[in-house]
Amino acid sequence: MWGEGEVSTYYAQLLLNGVIAGSVYALFAVGLTMVYGVFRFINFAHGELIAWGAYLTLLFSQVLPFSAAVAPALGLTLILGISQDRYVYSPLRRRSRITLLIASIGLSYFLRNALRLVWGSDLQTYGFEAWRGLSFGDLNITRIQLAMVAAALLFLGFLYGLLKFTMLGKSLRAAADNMELAEIMGIDMKRVGMTVWTLSALFAGAGGILIGLDTNLEPMMGLTNLIKSFAAVLLGGAGNVWGALLGGLFIGVAENLGVAFFSPGYKDAVSFALIVLLLLFRPAGLFGILGGVR
Amino acid sequence: MDYLLHTLVVAVIYSAFAVSLNLELGFTGLYNFGHVAFFGIGAYTSALLSLAGFPAAASLFLGMGASGAAGALIAVPALRLTGDYFGIATLAFGEMIRLFFLNERWLTKGPMGLPGIPRPFGIHGGVAGLPFYLLLSAVLGAGVFLLAYRLTRSPFGRALKVVREDEYVAQALGKNVLSLKVRIVAMGSLMAGLAGALYGHYITYISPSDFTLNETILVLLCVVLGGRGTQWGPVLGAFLVIFFQEFLRFLPLPVEFGRVVAPLQGMVYGAALILLMLKRPEGLLPEYRV
Repeated sequence: MWGEGEVSTYYAQLLLNGVIAGSVYALFAVGLTMVYGVFRFINFAHGELIAWGAYLTLLFSQVLPFSAAVAPALGLTLILGISQDRYVYSPLRRRSRITLLIASIGLSYFLRNALRLVWGSDLQTYGFEAWRGLSFGDLNITRIQLAMVAAALLFLGFLYGLLKFTMLGKSLRAAADNMELAEIMGIDMKRVGMTVWTLSALFAGAGGILIGLDTNLEPMMGLTNLIKSFAAVLLGGAGNVWGALLGGLFIGVAENLGVAFFSPGYKDAVSFALIVLLLLFRPAGLFGILGGVR
Repeated sequence: MDYLLHTLVVAVIYSAFAVSLNLELGFTGLYNFGHVAFFGIGAYTSALLSLAGFPAAASLFLGMGASGAAGALIAVPALRLTGDYFGIATLAFGEMIRLFFLNERWLTKGPMGLPGIPRPFGIHGGVAGLPFYLLLSAVLGAGVFLLAYRLTRSPFGRALKVVREDEYVAQALGKNVLSLKVRIVAMGSLMAGLAGALYGHYITYISPSDFTLNETILVLLCVVLGGRGTQWGPVLGAFLVIFFQEFLRFLPLPVEFGRVVAPLQGMVYGAALILLMLKRPEGLLPEYRV
């Protein structure tokens, strides 16, 4: 059917697509795992930050040029993320974990339906014409995909610098390691919390916009991407930022290579299968250490 | 009158569904966010068997068994870890089961759904069968309730509460925590499967869109509103939620308003969950603590 060269090109293209998608999943997963690292709970409403970021950009792009629409959209997503914490999670912080989790899944459901109320349930796009792809030898990549990788690199590079070289980053890492000890040492936990929510919401919103550019917008995009981010977080070991990054890339590659073997309807099932396999065999994550299990 | 009967049937089915979730969420402290999967497995198994010519009454119980078996299977990996991971795994499992219903057209007819599911014991499929179906669901629902009542009052039930409060204490008391959890998830799934099968045979038409996260949220709200970890809480919650939902249909809303009703309803349920957690996490009927 195919020559040998064509087959390997086919897989190389899938691999490339996987890395591109994975770089965006990494953005989601890093935000999710940072919140987990400091506050020790999984934010089920994280997916809604992704979707709201994308839809708010759609809203603003009707009156502003697209590149200018991104800023107010991300700003509002940020406010949404911080309000989540201030009005729902922070009052529940000292209660039982189940209370927090039920509130978080309630919040995600509330936000998803608010989205449907405003924009309806149909697929939407930003309305760009398909851009001509660039070719490298036999491999194709669209400009949007290039932008996805570039944006992901930019955000994650910024995060690396922040965590590694600034005092704030140091206090973040300390808080993730042991919140109580960090507080005793005089680290301002309010500031740490604020930073974590800011980064988490920004990364989610930006990733949502990129996904919207690459494919389309629909109200369920939050949930779909949330499950993928969960899988990535698990792969990396919960609370492990760089593990989540690698986990995101891994999920992207796995689900794109999976297309070669399964029906595309099951693309989203790849991450679930990974979750089950991991829970069975490597509950601490591929790169994780057993210390942080909860 | 027929409408009242219809609402009662749905409320009874949801009571059984809520009681089954309460076993896991309320008594054992397991955050199952994909409980609808077991409702769906029960409904589809029973519907497919009865459409293939099996007696509907027998398929009802086979659906229940299939769902219980699925619950036990998924519980073993998912329960390896405590806490949030179980919530994640079940949420994802719920979505995957929905994808399965949607994609395996040879079996489930995909988004077309399965029409014409017969009712068991020769109960008439239309309005005429309503009182009999109410009786059937009430008997089976009472069975589920009594079983849950007996289970949670037994030494087994007390061990579950210890697991909920502190797993290490349960371990120190010589309880096999994993086995306790797997058994209660299997039991919860069994009951959810029965409720799902009852639902399918009642509505006589099921499609993947009947088994989404919305239904999980709905049943979660039933349990949380009534009172987690109580005997009557989930039943009270189910009746309140279902009657509220059916009451909405009677509001004289303009037609163009129809598009926004579903999202608005979803927002109300989501907001109700948040507010309950903030203001009254114990629900309407608080659990009696010794």
